[in-house]
Amino acid sequence: MKEKAQSRAWAFIAPSVILILVFVFYPMIQAFVTSFQTGIGANLKFHGIANYQRLLTDGTFKKALWNTFIFLIVQVPIMIILALIISSMLNDKNLKCKGLFRTAIFLPCVTSLVSYSIIFKSLFATDGFINALLMKLNLISSPITWITDPFWAKVLIIIAITWRWTGYNMVFYLAGLQGIDESIYEAADLDGVNAFQKFRYIVLPLLKPIILFTTINSTIGTLQLFDEPMNITNGGPANATITISMYIYNLLFKYQPNFGYAAAVSYVIVVLIVILSMIQLKVGDDKNEK
Amino acid sequence: MRKKLLSLVLATTMMFSLVACGTEKEPQNNGTTNDSEKENTNNSKDSDTITIWAWDESFNIPAANAAAEVYKKEHADVTVNVVTMAQDDIVAKLNTALSSGTYNGLPDIVLIEDYRIQGYLTAYPDEFADLSSIVSASDFAAYKTGVNQVDGKIYGVPFDSGVAALFYRKDIIEEAGYQEKDMQDLTWEKYIEIGKAVKEKCNVDWLTLDPSDLGQIRMMMQSAGAWYTDADGNVNIKDNEALAAAIKVYKDLMDAGFVKQVSDWNQFVGSFNNGDVASVFTGCWIAPSVKNAEDQSGKWAVASFPRMSNVSNSVNASSIGGAGWYVLKNVGHEKTAVDFLGKTFGSNADLMHQLGDEISLIPTLNAASDYSKKDDYFGGQDVAADLIGWTAKVPTVNYGQNTYAIEDIMTEALQEILNGADIKKTLASYHETIKAAIAQ
Repeated sequence: MKEKAQSRAWAFIAPSVILILVFVFYPMIQAFVTSFQTGIGANLKFHGIANYQRLLTDGTFKKALWNTFIFLIVQVPIMIILALIISSMLNDKNLKCKGLFRTAIFLPCVTSLVSYSIIFKSLFATDGFINALLMKLNLISSPITWITDPFWAKVLIIIAITWRWTGYNMVFYLAGLQGIDESIYEAADLDGVNAFQKFRYIVLPLLKPIILFTTINSTIGTLQLFDEPMNITNGGPANATITISMYIYNLLFKYQPNFGYAAAVSYVIVVLIVILSMIQLKVGDDKNEK
Repeated sequence: MRKKLLSLVLATTMMFSLVACGTEKEPQNNGTTNDSEKENTNNSKDSDTITIWAWDESFNIPAANAAAEVYKKEHADVTVNVVTMAQDDIVAKLNTALSSGTYNGLPDIVLIEDYRIQGYLTAYPDEFADLSSIVSASDFAAYKTGVNQVDGKIYGVPFDSGVAALFYRKDIIEEAGYQEKDMQDLTWEKYIEIGKAVKEKCNVDWLTLDPSDLGQIRMMMQSAGAWYTDADGNVNIKDNEALAAAIKVYKDLMDAGFVKQVSDWNQFVGSFNNGDVASVFTGCWIAPSVKNAEDQSGKWAVASFPRMSNVSNSVNASSIGGAGWYVLKNVGHEKTAVDFLGKTFGSNADLMHQLGDEISLIPTLNAASDYSKKDDYFGGQDVAADLIGWTAKVPTVNYGQNTYAIEDIMTEALQEILNGADIKKTLASYHETIKAAIAQ
């Protein structure tokens, strides 16, 4: 009886297991094998760890890695904090038009990455809307070269991703906040706790698993950042906003197609994601135990 | 969440993720592609159907269609399928399909940019048909057949000329005290001098520059017969006199205070259409975009590309862009495809003249070089004849396989130099970086 149930269970799982094996694990292994081959186009030959050695001396790769980390370190905290603040504000019982605000803030998430990038590009053009607005408000005296200046180009990418993804994270926090029992707040009110303390000692600890989840998710997303730099700045000026994913694309399609080296670079992303996720899980756990 | 996880896994298996990126970018092309794929497989037994891939619906596509019309007159049983696709998509699809060895859905004839062709011919040596039987180098402008040969065999039919020219606003330079004759066969020093006068007297910027796009430097280099790589394909950055001189000109232009910086194609075209800048120097294919501004009709003129006075072999002619037709020989219709190209783009001067009228094609076929067309937009100047004349003078260079890879790194060198670094030293240090980056 028990055996029969088990075989049934296996039958139900089998299709997805097979699909995952064929379409996920097989390509992963194949890509790993490819990363040990060198050559252009169809002329691939095994060449040991040559590709991984090349990574160490590749200036563009280092630049791409550095840019990706800058985006990660600056953008993810800003976005997480912003999403937390917005979600606690929207969770206020006395707020009117909650649905409207929620929809408005979540809406960027349903737009296509490419189309919003193109709109951002035109908004932030040197003679675009944003510069005109800032000049009219007398905040700046001459237009900011958002796209052609290495520093502002990075800022622009960060603004763009923050706009696109804050609402996405906010929804998770809203769901989490609704799961916190009213009675906890009431008890806190009785003890004369102020709003900030409520946030610090009730909301944050109870949301921790969700914060952890969104942080890992955002980290992974940022490491794979592609659409925005590709469409807004095209990696420029002078590779100031090139990301690892974009570099992989260039290696394959813009330059001579070097599948082996591109596979090696993509495995660097895999390793980074695994390491960063492990660190974040560890940090989250430690706090739980205290 | 599922989608994110999925995309994470896909990124590691780059083939998949990159194909996904490609399709995401140009969704409107999917329909046509899939249609053509279907037709192609359905008719794979029928050698009388050939498929052509090209980009640009206002230029290459009408050209391919016109050629198909011409060919059909004599070969009524041949169906020619012309498919529009963004150039990036063509590049991506060729790379993935050719390296995996699947020919299903690939075209028989494909348009490939001159800068990229050496790369394809090297990466996929057994995929392109030898066209020596229908093309001989002496039939075309010399610099066009310099790029599509390997070991003396010609693999492509040269198509449009990317001959560089200087488009300028006659009315504005006259206001600044210069005449049309002052604009002929300029040096860069003179060009800058005129620009300064224009800026001072008319308060109009002289030209646009995009610091991420090295096209202008590329043109200047080619005017002296030089490139990032030498004739044998070795990296040639360190002691490249022409490159150093070109970068110097670029910096002088940037420092002269008459440049409007742009960051993409739309801003570039907008700047001269709106009258924000008084001159544009780039390939002759910009003419239709210049003519978009109907209110400026009669105010523009065309002069030859300026030369670098301190580089002895720099001439008043260069090239940017331009492409050729290639036959994929393993798709299955090699014979028909070769015959098609031989009878149309490979030899048909009448077709070239027709395309000159219809899409302002500047032909590279010598038999069509008698073409001329006075253009009222340019004050009745015989622009076509001028451009054809300059086409013949463009120095031949070997573009090598890595133009775009080198250029992405060169943008960093350029940035440093524009910020004040020494040209010679910077080029010397980037020489090694670039050598390492394109080593396989």
